[in-house]
Amino acid sequence: MSELKETLKAQIIEQLNLEDLTVADIADDAPLFGEGLGLDSIDALEFIVLLEQNYGIKIADPSEGKEIFQSVDSLAAYIEKNQ
Amino acid sequence: MKILASCKISDQGIYLNGEVQQKYTKETDNWKKDVYSKMKLDYPKFYKMDALAKMAFLGFELMESVSSFEHFEDNDVALLFANRNSSYDTDLRFIESYTEKGSPGPSLFVYTLPNILTGELAIRKKWFGENIFFIQENFDPEFFIDQINFYFRKGSKACLCGWVDSANDKEECFLFVVEKTDGEITAEELKKYYKQ
Repeated sequence: MSELKETLKAQIIEQLNLEDLTVADIADDAPLFGEGLGLDSIDALEFIVLLEQNYGIKIADPSEGKEIFQSVDSLAAYIEKNQ
Repeated sequence: MKILASCKISDQGIYLNGEVQQKYTKETDNWKKDVYSKMKLDYPKFYKMDALAKMAFLGFELMESVSSFEHFEDNDVALLFANRNSSYDTDLRFIESYTEKGSPGPSLFVYTLPNILTGELAIRKKWFGENIFFIQENFDPEFFIDQINFYFRKGSKACLCGWVDSANDKEECFLFVVEKTDGEITAEELKKYYKQ
């Protein structure tokens, strides 16, 4: 799981063009949206693409996104459960 | 018209009100993050911005670290910006996202207009005055003075101005804030600030 989280952080930086951030800058449980990384609805689209391209996971119900994209922890848990 | 503050970021370094900065430098590839960290800023949205917006954001934060613009009302400040290469660097990265990486990146797409940086500054400062972004061959002091006077005639009390350009690994950012006063500044004077 921890390896997946590290990979996810690198993919988030790449996908969202956060090139001034490093993997170490993103805490597992830090909120990705709002106060944490300051992401917004545009970035939610990037997460949907990231999940589909890298893990073959399609989010059927967009309303699930809020919970799934809460943190790296929640993203990793969702991937483990759905892959 | 009176210049309250200026900031110049170029290959030669970072200048604030004409003084070269020792604390804030451009010595590393990560200079934007370095300046952001050294200034102890807490604005996560910074990391999402493209190079143009980051430079304008940092340039303004640097000016604000030595000058206060708090006395201006939200609608008093106009934003007047220009550059030569529009959003060229980000345009290329956006093209790369769908030609080489499989899908167009929404987070890149939002920065494929240079005037997004004026929006970033307006959001940061909650300034709701006029704003415009021109594409020009070079920084044109006479044009800027004409436009500033236009805004002042229309009721603005100050103007945040900038020439912010990034293309082919060459970055340049010149910001200045002018306040409406009885006096005038000449194109030659403004050119000197730009050349600092």
